Amino acid sequence: MKLEGDYLFNGPREEVWAMVRDPEVLASCLPGTQSLKQISPNEYEGGIYVRIGPVSGSFAGRLTVSNEVPPESCTLTVEGKGAAGFAKGVGNVFLEAQAPDKTLLKYTGEFNIGGKLAAIGQRLIESVGKSMINKGFETLDKTLQARMAGKTPN
Amino acid sequence: MAGKYLGQRLKRNEDPRLLTGQALFVDDVQLPGMLHAAFLRSDYAHAWIKSIDPSAARQHPGVVAVYTAADLGKIWKPGPLNVPPPSGIPGVVFNQRTQVPMAKDKVRHQGEAVAVVIAESRYIAEDAAAEIVVDYEPLEAVIDLEKALGEGSPLLYEDLGTNLASFVHQENGSYAEAAARADLIVKTHIVMERGTAAALENRGYVASWDNKSQSLTMWATTQGPIALRNGLATILGLSEHQIRVIAPFVGGGFGPKILLYQPEEIVVSWASLQLGRPVKWIEDRQENFGDTSQERRQIHEAEMALTRDGKILGVKDVFIHDTGAYNSYALTIPLNTQTHTTGPYKVANYLTEYRVVFTNRILVTPLRGAGRTYGTFVMERLMDKAAKRLGMDRTEIRRMNMIQPDEFPYKTGIVGQDFAKNVLDSGNYPAALDKAKEMIGYEAFLKEEQPRLRAEGKHVGLGISFFTEGSGVGPYEGARITVEASGKVNLSTGVGTQGQGHFTSFAQVAAEQLGVDPKNIFVTTGDTEAFHWGAGTFASRGATVAGSAVNAAALLVRQKILKMASKILEAPEEELELADGMVRVADIPSRCISLAELAVKANPSRGAVEPGTEPGLEATAYFGPPYGATAYGCCAMIVEVDPDTFNARIQRLVMAHDCGTVLNPMILEGQIHGGVGLGLGNSFFEKLEMDDNGQLQNASFMDYLIPRASDLPPIEIAHLHTPSPLNPLGIKGVGEAGAIPIPPAFVQAVEDALPEYNLEISEAPLSPNRLFQIVQAAKQA
Amino acid sequence: MSELVKVQVTVNGTRYEHTVEPRMLLVDFIRHELGLTGTHVGCEHGVCGTCTILLDGKPVRSCLLFAPQANGHEIRTIEGLGTMDNLHPIQEAFREAHGLQCGFCTPGVIMSVLPFVEQNANPTEEEVREALDGNLCRCTGYQNIVQAVQLASEMVASRKAEAR
Repeated sequence: MKLEGDYLFNGPREEVWAMVRDPEVLASCLPGTQSLKQISPNEYEGGIYVRIGPVSGSFAGRLTVSNEVPPESCTLTVEGKGAAGFAKGVGNVFLEAQAPDKTLLKYTGEFNIGGKLAAIGQRLIESVGKSMINKGFETLDKTLQARMAGKTPN
Repeated sequence: MAGKYLGQRLKRNEDPRLLTGQALFVDDVQLPGMLHAAFLRSDYAHAWIKSIDPSAARQHPGVVAVYTAADLGKIWKPGPLNVPPPSGIPGVVFNQRTQVPMAKDKVRHQGEAVAVVIAESRYIAEDAAAEIVVDYEPLEAVIDLEKALGEGSPLLYEDLGTNLASFVHQENGSYAEAAARADLIVKTHIVMERGTAAALENRGYVASWDNKSQSLTMWATTQGPIALRNGLATILGLSEHQIRVIAPFVGGGFGPKILLYQPEEIVVSWASLQLGRPVKWIEDRQENFGDTSQERRQIHEAEMALTRDGKILGVKDVFIHDTGAYNSYALTIPLNTQTHTTGPYKVANYLTEYRVVFTNRILVTPLRGAGRTYGTFVMERLMDKAAKRLGMDRTEIRRMNMIQPDEFPYKTGIVGQDFAKNVLDSGNYPAALDKAKEMIGYEAFLKEEQPRLRAEGKHVGLGISFFTEGSGVGPYEGARITVEASGKVNLSTGVGTQGQGHFTSFAQVAAEQLGVDPKNIFVTTGDTEAFHWGAGTFASRGATVAGSAVNAAALLVRQKILKMASKILEAPEEELELADGMVRVADIPSRCISLAELAVKANPSRGAVEPGTEPGLEATAYFGPPYGATAYGCCAMIVEVDPDTFNARIQRLVMAHDCGTVLNPMILEGQIHGGVGLGLGNSFFEKLEMDDNGQLQNASFMDYLIPRASDLPPIEIAHLHTPSPLNPLGIKGVGEAGAIPIPPAFVQAVEDALPEYNLEISEAPLSPNRLFQIVQAAKQA
Repeated sequence: MSELVKVQVTVNGTRYEHTVEPRMLLVDFIRHELGLTGTHVGCEHGVCGTCTILLDGKPVRSCLLFAPQANGHEIRTIEGLGTMDNLHPIQEAFREAHGLQCGFCTPGVIMSVLPFVEQNANPTEEEVREALDGNLCRCTGYQNIVQAVQLASEMVASRKAEAR
């Protein structure tokens, strides 16, 4: 399955990049994230709770960041599995400065799922996946606003 | 040959139990101390198992045991073949790889069992199964049939060095020679896809080992209880007489329940032996989509050589058959395809060849239609194509190539599923074609109605398709009939029943010979304690083979009755008649004796009997045909296609059908209705959507659509009666008939409904979506 | 495991009180706690209709409810219609019209259409097919089920007329 989309952040590219690379921020933004631990400069491990239609459950997974070109682009590889199945995805993220305080994030990726998740959740997975990503970006953008608001007085 | 009972539309004996919720199905078995099993199944289609850690599950409160392949000890080994590969065909390649009780080093399809939890409740067992940690190393999945045979494909079995499971080549005459002198050769590339049987009752087993009697009782949703008992005895190291298998009421079979030595059968019965407690496993619907065998995936390259006036000179069909991860059922399905492709037609030169391929999908075993469906689809599509190219009427080209009534028995020279060279026993094919045409109003529809409807902007088409159904194959079945001291009759046979009405139709057969009301004949099927010789319910053989055995046993009992009564009534046997549970002298009805009295006299409690006398009014008999009887029929339908949604609605569907002597027309019609229902599912809705990684995308009834009441048309049936010469009653099978001709008739009707696109549909199933794509492609071409 | 809860229901006129896990499905409660195994399970996700029962007179899928949700309610199952010797008209009609083969889906079909049959004396084939659309049957092609329902409607109506 292919996933692609974009999101316009209200902030400079460097700030957006910093947030994307901050595990604590990511953990607080991705809906359902139970934990996210950095285990090496480019690797994170964690748990996420996902609900797709009638299938729900916790997934344990690993997130790897590669091909990093700060603050422009990187490749994210996600692998997770749980009682409800498994998921594996590879995505490329691009940040494009559209104005000093506008950054367009574009992503394209391939996503494979298996087990119950695929068998029963199939027809919902794309919309659920997109909605999770968008919710994540919205939260990220809010966090970004808050951060920048905190920074302005300096 | 309708009689007082035989051939009558009698209400079924079994219905009151089924209608009031009193019939026993496997999941209804409740035993004291019973434990429940839940299997952990692979999410991956193809992966090495690096490790399995069941420790957390074992600690789970309420869990009694957790087993993996490693715990099974010497029980763990690939199961026996259900069916051997055919003898009598030179050059057959058969690489045997049968199912294992649980995956050990490697999983080969999604849904394959890797561990089992036995717990105090199913709820607990499932909770604990989720706590088992399996470390897999995923491998690339083998899904595409053509790529599977290509170089560099990943292999299911490394030791085999290939994904080729089998190769079979048969030829009668010489196709090359026929092609060389043909005026026309039409070719087609046919793809048929996998569906599932979807019996409403999933599979299930309850095994109960009793230590004190040293015996195992197993309730099983099986179509072959006796073979299951014998197989389990070998696997578990018990005597056959220590095991009783009961197939109680079974909620639909349709094929997959004939598969023996399924992992759960072995694991559940073994676990009961280990634990000394009853163990129950009931498959859930999602499991069913991944662990119950499936069918209907073949790719054909076929061609037909004809003269310019439409006579078939030869047919060549080269195909690939998907067997999934195992081939426990050997070659029954593709052999059926080979024998059914030429169907009712005279094809002097016929080359048929196939490769069977291992793929990372659940194994393939017969499903109602069982290979006949594809053969019929291929041939009927070739006929349609030839008719178009030659500008001939599609029914005319069929008729002129048909085997004529005086040409039976007709030998095709091709070896079939019973390993005998195929012989078509009897029939009147042109009469069935005429009957179907008359019923659907063929001429009037094409000449008047269709042009009128087209003028109104409607897209309505007619489809007509012929088929044969090899049925009633051996080896044999048996039956035992006893007249009890009450005058009631007890009848047992080894075949199981999954809704075919055996409790009634077998009673009718016996009633006819014994002059007893069928209501007073108590039929037991599928209990190895009641009868323990037989093969099972498959290949449309219950009525034909077991029914003939019942008839033979009833005849023997009748002879015993007449012999005894003749002495008591002092009248020659020829002057006696059996009716209403009595034997009487035909012209002096007052001189009579009841069967009850005779039964008592036949089993004296004191005194002496003549030497050589067998006690009781009882007899056991067996019947085995030399080869299978071939039923046949013609289906026609009228289909309207919505040009916006591409939904197709079947407005009318008729079937002219001949299965020889009819035991009970009501039951017979029901069998055809059900077959047609499945056939329409296979034509339009039912496709298991599999991605390249071997992940099934529609494993629920939300996404895998089986026909509903409003999807199906009323079905009009006409019976023809050409008795089979192969059994005394003249019966042929009917169980699979309905499913066979529907896909070719349906696609032909769809093409006929959309003439503006000149479609050549070479696949099944379609769906509105798929039909839309085909039309779009045709528009662009 | 969560705390056990008390479930009180009236099934086919008999009152039952059982203490069960709150997650127990109503169909498991009926089948395995109460031993009324005439109600069957076909898909566990509310599509096939095999587990249909009447809850306060309305057809519901008992695989989609937890047992505690039925607390205080009235349930009718296939065992609450006729007996083997004295079938309910709808059961008689199914036998007469050969509206069942393996019989596994049958209790669910009957409980689903019972209110329809009681309210429609003379339904058309189309109406019957629509009424049956929530139930899957794999044996009959529905043809004889449709006829059985039409016959049942007539039989129920004529019994009502006789009773007047």
